[in-house]
Amino acid sequence: MSELTTAARPYAKAVFEMAQESGTLSEWSEQLAAMSAVVAAEDSAALLSHPRMSKAQKAEIFSEVIGDGLTDGGRNLLMALGENDRFVLIPEIASIYEVLKAEAEGAIEAEVISAQEMTKKQEGAIAAALQKRLGREVKLVTSIDPSLMGGAIIRAGDLVIDGSIQSRLQKMKMAMAR
Amino acid sequence: MQLNPTEISDLIKKRIESFEAGTEARTEGTVVSVTDGIVRIHGLGDVMSGEMIAFSNGIYGLALNLERDSVGAVVLGDYKTITEGDTVKCTGRILEVPVGEALLGRVVDSLGAPIDGKGAIESELTAPVEQIAPGVIDREPVNQPMETGTKALDAMVPVGRGQRELIIGDRQTGKTAVAIDAILNQKGKDVKCIYVAVGQKASSVAGVVRKLEEHGAMEYTIVVAANASDPASMQFLAPYAGCAMGEYFRDRGEDALIVYDDLTKQAWAYRQVSLLLRRPPGREAYPGDVFYLHSRLLERSSRVTADYVERVTNGEVKGKTGSLTALPIIETQEGDVSAFVPTNVISITDGQIFLETDLFNAGIRPAINAGLSVSRVGGSAQTKIVKKLGGGVRLDLAQYRELAAFSQFASDLDEATRKQLERGQRVTELMKQPQYSPMTTAEISFSLFAANEGFLDDVEANKVVDFEAAMLSYLRSEKSDLLDSMNESGNYDGDVADSMRAALEDFKSKNTW
Repeated sequence: MSELTTAARPYAKAVFEMAQESGTLSEWSEQLAAMSAVVAAEDSAALLSHPRMSKAQKAEIFSEVIGDGLTDGGRNLLMALGENDRFVLIPEIASIYEVLKAEAEGAIEAEVISAQEMTKKQEGAIAAALQKRLGREVKLVTSIDPSLMGGAIIRAGDLVIDGSIQSRLQKMKMAMAR
Repeated sequence: MQLNPTEISDLIKKRIESFEAGTEARTEGTVVSVTDGIVRIHGLGDVMSGEMIAFSNGIYGLALNLERDSVGAVVLGDYKTITEGDTVKCTGRILEVPVGEALLGRVVDSLGAPIDGKGAIESELTAPVEQIAPGVIDREPVNQPMETGTKALDAMVPVGRGQRELIIGDRQTGKTAVAIDAILNQKGKDVKCIYVAVGQKASSVAGVVRKLEEHGAMEYTIVVAANASDPASMQFLAPYAGCAMGEYFRDRGEDALIVYDDLTKQAWAYRQVSLLLRRPPGREAYPGDVFYLHSRLLERSSRVTADYVERVTNGEVKGKTGSLTALPIIETQEGDVSAFVPTNVISITDGQIFLETDLFNAGIRPAINAGLSVSRVGGSAQTKIVKKLGGGVRLDLAQYRELAAFSQFASDLDEATRKQLERGQRVTELMKQPQYSPMTTAEISFSLFAANEGFLDDVEANKVVDFEAAMLSYLRSEKSDLLDSMNESGNYDGDVADSMRAALEDFKSKNTW
């Protein structure tokens, strides 16, 4: 995974810079999402590693699968990836691209896992607090995990803020055992 | 003392009340791959080099490689329960081990956890495993003897407190025996000992511990063991952990002796970790920093000034210098001292004790090669009497070796040469010493005196060992006052020489051997 990231970074950076110059950030975002979906599909692996097809053919088929959603730039990216046999990188490229895009837009995606469903007011308070701490726009993605018992866990990038009852009990268990 | 039930619940209540668990903010990563004790982690953006990281199942790791997209870490313990996708968190701490008096008499692993089945170690104090050695200003010259109790060493290769003296030799030449004898000789001398076993058979370590217990040496000794079956990460950490435990005594103005048995295996373990972390291999496939691996460890053995001790203990201990003497052990292959690790450690240490297979097989035990063994700083630390009497022995042996090689071709020799050969034979015999029987300064002095003053000249060469044994038992029973006073003062002058001569003449006239 880390090797994939390393290989994908230059592609993602190139795509991002191009998109930023031409002002087509969201368009590219959609395209990359579509490409990732194709790579993730079950049969695509067999197709893309088929030994009897040339690299150009693979890129051609790939772009046909996506069809209308593809711009010229997108087609060329597929050609470039095909030439270097790097179709596997597409999901990674997409995720790095999204990070770069969010950074450029001054936004960060934060995942909030809570024990119970949160009210709009609570969500707003968390978003505001995070915004203050991280210094940028925060997009909240919420989910519910009853095993936390209470409280919530917030994940933003590598940072994890753990305020769940579950982890507190865990820590208490450790402290008592000592 | 038995606790009653209410006391226990009170205890628990107190603990619950005092327990604080605020919201915790930390950086997390995910395990990407687990290979032979090496874990690659994605994320963990804030991790520091050498930081402890915690895996989700409670096992700890050590972050060693910080790369652009991943972190390479070694697992300290069983890595088989760690799987791809596990979360990993930073702890913000560096690796620490418990230190202090509570560890004496115990056998612990590289993390300071007891492995001798004698219960938990009640030690409040911890110290970082990796510490910077004391600087130039904080050091005191080595000028106090660290008696090893081995005649040949104390006479020819003296070790001072704070010195690093390498013990080097092939397998099965008695390297560990020399080190263990040195530990046994510290009994009643207020020197704390640490024996670090790296990559050895568990049975050998158990054997050493049993011997130490038998001779009552365990009460002032800590054994740090990372056996051959332990993970490579633990094996390469063990010497640092042991050193941290020794530094505790040094920094409190006490004297300590540490034996690293052996650093070759530690270098192997480190090589394994480095190669699995994909660091580039160099000579003999060791990584580039294998010299630093040993130099930073051995530099920590030193004698420190009273000022340093006072500063470190916040004025608690005043006017006492501390020392940590190191006896690192290196195993050579077929006597090849020009291999990478032996040359490194020879150049770092303040001298070396060469043990040779040929000598060992010829029955000269300890199998010390007197010509190649040197001590670069020990001379100024040697007890006066041994220094005075030992000088002749070294010369006798050197001349003997030269003549012995030469005289193999000659059929008849002149009187002087024959005399020298005979003297050499006797001194060689005299340097033999059984295992687990360290000698005091006075006893060593008497043996050396007997050789120097010609008391051995009319003793047959193959009877020298018996002669010495008889002499020592005579001295211990008849002249214990003289031995005690010699041990006490350590001085050599005309009066001492006269009383020694008188004692030996008395012995020779009354005893047979």
